[in-house]
Amino acid sequence: MEYKFIHLDKIYSVKLEKKDDSYRVVVDNNTIYEVVDVGAQPNVISFKVKDKLQSVYFASDKDKTYLSVNGEYFILELEKGKTSSAKSAAQQKGNSVASPMPGLVVKIPVKIDEKVTAGTTLAIVEAMKMQNELSAPCDGIVKRINFKEGEQVDALKVIVELETR
Amino acid sequence: MFKKILIANRGEITIRVARACQELGIATVGVYSTVDKTSLHLRYMDEAVWIGDSAPLASYLNIDAIIDAAKKTKSEAIHPGYGFLAENELFASACENAGIIFIGPSSKSLALVGDKIASRNTVKKLGVPIIPGMEMANTDISKFKITAKRVGYPVMVKASMGGGGKGMRIVRNEKELESSIAAGQREAKSSFGDDSIYLEKYIEQPHHIEFQVLRDKFGNCVHLYERECSIQRRHQKIIEETPSPVLNDDLRMKMGEAAKRVIETADYTSAGTVEFLLDKDKNFYFLEVNARIQVEHPITEMVTGVDLVRQQILIAAGEKLKLRQEQISQNGHAIEARIYAEDADNDFLPSPGKILFLNEPSGPGIRVDTGIYQGWNIPPHYDPILSKLIVWAEDRKSCLPRISNALKNYILLGLKTNISYLRRIINTKKFMIGKYNTHFIGENEKNLKPSTENLDIALIAAALDKEKEKLSLTTETSIKSNPWKEIGEWEICKKNT
Repeated sequence: MEYKFIHLDKIYSVKLEKKDDSYRVVVDNNTIYEVVDVGAQPNVISFKVKDKLQSVYFASDKDKTYLSVNGEYFILELEKGKTSSAKSAAQQKGNSVASPMPGLVVKIPVKIDEKVTAGTTLAIVEAMKMQNELSAPCDGIVKRINFKEGEQVDALKVIVELETR
Repeated sequence: MFKKILIANRGEITIRVARACQELGIATVGVYSTVDKTSLHLRYMDEAVWIGDSAPLASYLNIDAIIDAAKKTKSEAIHPGYGFLAENELFASACENAGIIFIGPSSKSLALVGDKIASRNTVKKLGVPIIPGMEMANTDISKFKITAKRVGYPVMVKASMGGGGKGMRIVRNEKELESSIAAGQREAKSSFGDDSIYLEKYIEQPHHIEFQVLRDKFGNCVHLYERECSIQRRHQKIIEETPSPVLNDDLRMKMGEAAKRVIETADYTSAGTVEFLLDKDKNFYFLEVNARIQVEHPITEMVTGVDLVRQQILIAAGEKLKLRQEQISQNGHAIEARIYAEDADNDFLPSPGKILFLNEPSGPGIRVDTGIYQGWNIPPHYDPILSKLIVWAEDRKSCLPRISNALKNYILLGLKTNISYLRRIINTKKFMIGKYNTHFIGENEKNLKPSTENLDIALIAAALDKEKEKLSLTTETSIKSNPWKEIGEWEICKKNT
């Protein structure tokens, strides 16, 4: 069985092949591991690789799996053929600005039909006492404003859209 | 002694204060905003009062609502924790006017130490060194230019009512001065509601070292040694330790005595911290007084054995300080790491969200002051601090692997935190040998990047998990149907939020 995961915008393939008590695992079509399943507790999966016991903490939310391995953290998103939500939001960003985090829209210093140049602040979003200025990725005209000042915004939601010529 | 105390805060510090109250046999009253009705701190309270909407201005900064809550619950005293209203003289005087004891200094002392320029001038008269700079806030740019020239570039523009790095700007030459002043004023206005700023010499490669002081209402005063707080991101501390690797006993004594003099002059009572900068030639300069219990207070508790919050409560209740300076010593070494909901690998961007799994470390010398629980949705309205890991060992050498290991075993899944980043800091050579200053984070960016060494193991684990999920699903459906699975996603009493 092959699974594909996205980690920091890169896709990794993991092929599992069951062999008696162990798995033959091929990561990214080049590294081969012999993996012996040891057991699982809630949110912990233990297996042996090259005789070293690995106990990995994990928790999943929809297609995202959060893992802690030997003190380092990873977020892996299951790749299901179509582009991931994170990617499509990034692509949309071409001529718009989206909030990088859930928070509060503090200020939208531009108006509809206003001409802006690349780098102009289009919105200020605040979360956890930190303000984040979102600036225009390119020159353009403000086409849509999807939020009002004082409104809550979720991560990756587009706040201001530009029209470019 | 008090019978009941209201704690006007949220998160880990509120729980810390509640513990001290409970040990003294004092009932606790908690307050909460709308979004905080599911916060951990309420579990530690005997009573709880809703004080307003989720925005801090409507709740934890709402003086009237908090005073009302204290009156309604017949609380005799209020502990403000840190942040929010902790150093707000209007709040302290509102307490005084309502006949409620504010667990902290008087509004008069707060006013004196809260105004950075006034306290600089007071301290200068004591003979405690201050950083050369302006003696009063100004709006006249030519005055800034004159002072900058006199003390020499680089200089620092600072908000007079500032703190936490807000409104601070380093200026390298005269060309940058005007725009930095404007930016500093804007930030000061939005952060503190007051746009007064001033200028002082910028100290290169400084250490941020602070001294903990306790003073009672009878004038008895002790210091409890230093905390080294030079590991900072965006001018905010993230790792602190005591003793400082750079102080010797002679300098330590001098600075401790200077800290006591500052506190005595302000007629300051309760626990207070005197902050100093130490330059590369080991000259120290008074920076400011932090008129509150501080985030990093536990490392002092670990090495001195003194419960600082308990002392605050005793002093507020009018008791005499029983500690004498010669009884207080530094035993062993302690390091604190602050756990934040932030993406340390992406400009420390805030990262609120739901905690899917939590396993906090334990073991000899390990203390976790926490404000979180598994399943909790961390709201975006407040400071990103989640908890603090404090580790004690007999010396620095054994403290380092202990905290590194404890951070490795601090498992928090479901959102981005700075946990692995903190561990990377501890494991750098510079930190290991104790050679670092406040520029550490900026200068070590390359050494603090996440490693992909364990990525393959993570991928194998995720794939194995998916495989097992699939297997269990097929066996379940083939053997017998599962009514819970058939209903779909469910939750008892789920509310749409």
